[in-house]
Formats: sequence, C-alpha cells, structure tokens
Amino acid sequence: MNRNLSRALAALALAVAVALPAFAGAYPLQVARNIIMYMALAVTWDMLLRSGQISFGIAGLFGLGAYASVLGVLRAGMPGWLSIPFAAVFSGLVALLIGFLILRLRAMYFSIVTLALAEIFRIVIHNLHDFTGGPEGVVLQGVIFGGDAGKLYWLALAGLAVALGASWWFENSRVHYALTAIRNNETSAKSSGVNIFRWLLVAFVVTSSIQGLLGGIYVQSYGFATPESVFDANFTLLPLAMALLGGVHSTVGPVLGAVLLGLAAEWLKLKIPYGHLVVYGVIIIIVILFMPQGLLGQARAMRRSADKRRKA
Amino acid sequence: MLKVENLECGYGKLTVLRGVSIEVGAESVGLFGPNGAGKTTLINAIMGLVSPRSGSISLEGREIGGGKTHEIARAGIALVPQERELFPGMSVADNLELGAAYIPHAKANAARQLEVVLELFPILKERYRQLAGTMSGGQQRMVAIGRALMANPKLLILDEPSLGLQPSIVAEVFERLTLLKKSVSILVTEQNVRESLRSIDRGYVLENGAIAVEDDAKGLLTNPHVVSAYLGI
Repeated sequence: MNRNLSRALAALALAVAVALPAFAGAYPLQVARNIIMYMALAVTWDMLLRSGQISFGIAGLFGLGAYASVLGVLRAGMPGWLSIPFAAVFSGLVALLIGFLILRLRAMYFSIVTLALAEIFRIVIHNLHDFTGGPEGVVLQGVIFGGDAGKLYWLALAGLAVALGASWWFENSRVHYALTAIRNNETSAKSSGVNIFRWLLVAFVVTSSIQGLLGGIYVQSYGFATPESVFDANFTLLPLAMALLGGVHSTVGPVLGAVLLGLAAEWLKLKIPYGHLVVYGVIIIIVILFMPQGLLGQARAMRRSADKRRKA
Repeated sequence: MLKVENLECGYGKLTVLRGVSIEVGAESVGLFGPNGAGKTTLINAIMGLVSPRSGSISLEGREIGGGKTHEIARAGIALVPQERELFPGMSVADNLELGAAYIPHAKANAARQLEVVLELFPILKERYRQLAGTMSGGQQRMVAIGRALMANPKLLILDEPSLGLQPSIVAEVFERLTLLKKSVSILVTEQNVRESLRSIDRGYVLENGAIAVEDDAKGLLTNPHVVSAYLGI
C-alpha cells in the first residue's frame, strides 16, 4: 500500500471515529468504547514489546490507575476530569519505582514478575478495606459527563489518541532505535552507546502511565471500581491477543487486531455467550502457529515475495 | 591512548587473565593467541562487559575499568564483536545510523562519517536499504565495522574479524583495516596471524591468560615461538 493511500485511509478512519456519536446510538458507542480501550492497551503492550520485554502486567497498571482515579475523587475530593491525569501520574510513578527493581530481569523472569505484580496490586487493594472499599469496591457519586454516551466515547478516543501519539513518538524518535537495538542484541546495543536500563525504564514508565490513564478513563466512565472488575485478567489477555493477531512491533498491527477481534468478540458474545473466550484462545493458537508476525507481518511477507517474483 | 595494566579477570572461580598489560597508541595493534587464551575476555573487560578483579584500564589517562559499557562506548571505544552481532531486523542504513545515534560526539558529524564509511565499503551503499540479517557473512562484517566507525571512535576494537569468512573476504577486510589505521587506533584479536601481521604495527601473543610475546610486526614474523606455533612453518 503506498503512503498516500495509507494516509487517506487513516484520515478517513479518524473522521469516522470522531464523528461516530453523530450517527451511532448508545449501544454501538458502548461497543466502540470497549474496542477503543482494548486497542489503546494493545498499543501500549506492543510499545514495551518493541524492546523485547513481554509484560503480563497490563491489568495491574490499568487497575492501579482505576483505583488512583476513583480514590482521588472520593478521598482527595478531586474533580473527575483531574483524577484521570492523576491516575496516569500515579501509575507512572509506581512503574518508575518498581522499574528500578524489575528491569534488570529479562525474558520469562520479567514476564512472570509483571504477572505477579498485577496480582499483588489486586491483593493490596483487596485488603486495604477502609481506604479502598476492599472486595466490595467503591462507587462514585456519578459518572463523568453525566453519563453522556457521546462524550464518554470521545473521552475513550482521547485516551486512544494519547496511546497512538506515544506509539508514534516511539516509532519516530531515538526511542525506536534504542528499543529495537535492545530487542535485537543487548551486547551490540550497549557497545553502540545505548543505555539499556534508561531506555527500558522510559518505555516501561510511559506505557504504564498510559495504562493507568486508561484505567482512570474506564472507572470514570462506569462510576465504580472493584478489584475483580478493574484487575480483570481480560485487560491483559485481550490486548495481547489483539496485538498478536494484528502484528507486533508496530502501531498499525495492534489497531488492526483490536478492530477485528473486538468486532468478532461482540458478534460472538451474542451468538455464543462466554464462548467467545474459547474463540479468542483458538485465534491466539492459530496466529502463533501459522502467522507469528500477525496479519500485518503476513501481508508484508506476501508483498515481499510478490516483489521478488516480479523482479525475477 | 589505551593502557591496560596488571589486569586480572575471570568468571566465577575461573581466572582467565593473569596480570595482563598492553598499550595501544596511535597505531594498529594485534592480539594473538589460541582458543581460550583470554583474548575475548580482555576485550570484554576493556568494553565493560566483564568486571576486572584487579588492575586498571585507562583511555587517554581516564580510568574506565569496571565502567558501564555504554559509557565506555561514549568515551570513544567502538567494538566489532566476534559474532558480528548486528541488528538483523534493521536495514543497513538503520544499523549505520544507530552507530552514531547514542554517541554525543558522533551524532553531530554523522552525515560526514557516513560518507567515510560508504566510501570505505561501497557495497554498503548498494545494499543501503537491505535488511542487514539477509546479507552474506562478509557483508555483515562490513556493516558491523561500518556501524562501529559511525561512532567516530578513538579506538576501534575488532574481535576475530576473519572468523567464518572465506579467504578472499578476509583479505578484503584486512585491506580495509590497513586503510583505517591512518585515521583511528586499532586493536584486533585474530587467529589468522599471517593475514593480520600484514596490517598491524605491533602485536601481543596471549597464552594461558598472560602476555607471552610482545613485539612489532616484523619481530613477530621472525619470532621462533610465533613462527612455530602460529604460522605453521
């Protein structure tokens, strides 16, 4: 696909996305909001993956942001809108602190620790009953924007814009070289002057902040948080499946995967309630077995072989 | 330039380097020895990839022993590792650009340095947009040397640059190194002693973790131990 066509499609998608509340009802907007949230999470997961680090801690940072937002409103009297950036800053600071400890780990050790951290956050929230509401959770006085479906949709879209903007920055700055070099070969990266720990910390803190921000948006949109709802494993597994399906190490891949899987899931939920999770699992297995680079990677490989055939 | 004094280094209980001292000035220096002699360990220690137990490593009088690898790279030492160790998923262009991107003094002159590298290795100009991982072994070695040169280093270290390359490519690599030594100090480890003696000014023979012989290139060529052990005469 040439660059002009890609830009035209992106502009069209943006126009449709922004104008959706003008012609869609409450239910499609709710579906679109869910897809957008998962899409943004998938993009942030991929951003860290570009360094070769596989995180299973999305739900942990998302849930932490959700609780930072809801408790910011209830305990500190923050306005709902302010609690959202507060959630991002809080998650980012927590990521900065734990990053110093865990970013020396690699491969499965890093992945397992991120998974454990998400569980630790959930258990801590669960047990700080007086402050966090414990297992029963906490309820806000009301939903942000009075629950206006269009405004809530735009709020989610703003969260996605932050994730896409950060991903674009990662792809078009020195961060890209640093993360790709770290993923390819740490010894060579170090020998080329790349401060590995620093760039991993940047990637971890930025992605965690955005995950926290999305948690804040989520909880302000629904008006309540319980440990089970905001630390739900689906906030880790679905973005991961979306990114894998669409294609990793890019912004477009997770976006594509989220649209396809998000729409498929909504349709499957109606046809086979709860069975959609089985379909998710099957999709992940098929993708890993036959298309490890995802749909985007598959399309690129097909284009490369077509180019080769044309030249030959 | 580079001064290594009484360096002792190892892994766990194993001592690999025992009181090694070498110096590299504005010249090309060879480091020879059999497998397991400690050549790569010495280079890894200079680059901060292995911590010295004792002794010192200094670059232009500044102690760098035990420093962080990225800081040593920024201080002016560039490494071409043994296994090529490119960024295979990146294009030749990106590999070269990355060589300068994180070295402050090199970043400002990256465009000029790129011209130097492409002039030295014209094949890289032809394959500029190709993925580095899809190139031949010899071409990958040229990308690795080019990337190291993009850092505009004071000292270029090459660990076994001829490893795994066919003889004609080896000769080409050493020919380029002979051209390079006019502009940058070079420390090269090699098992292909005959070929490398043509491009170096001085050399050390490392055996069992200690310097066994030290001489200029002509002296090494006539040294009975070097001749019998490494030149197979």
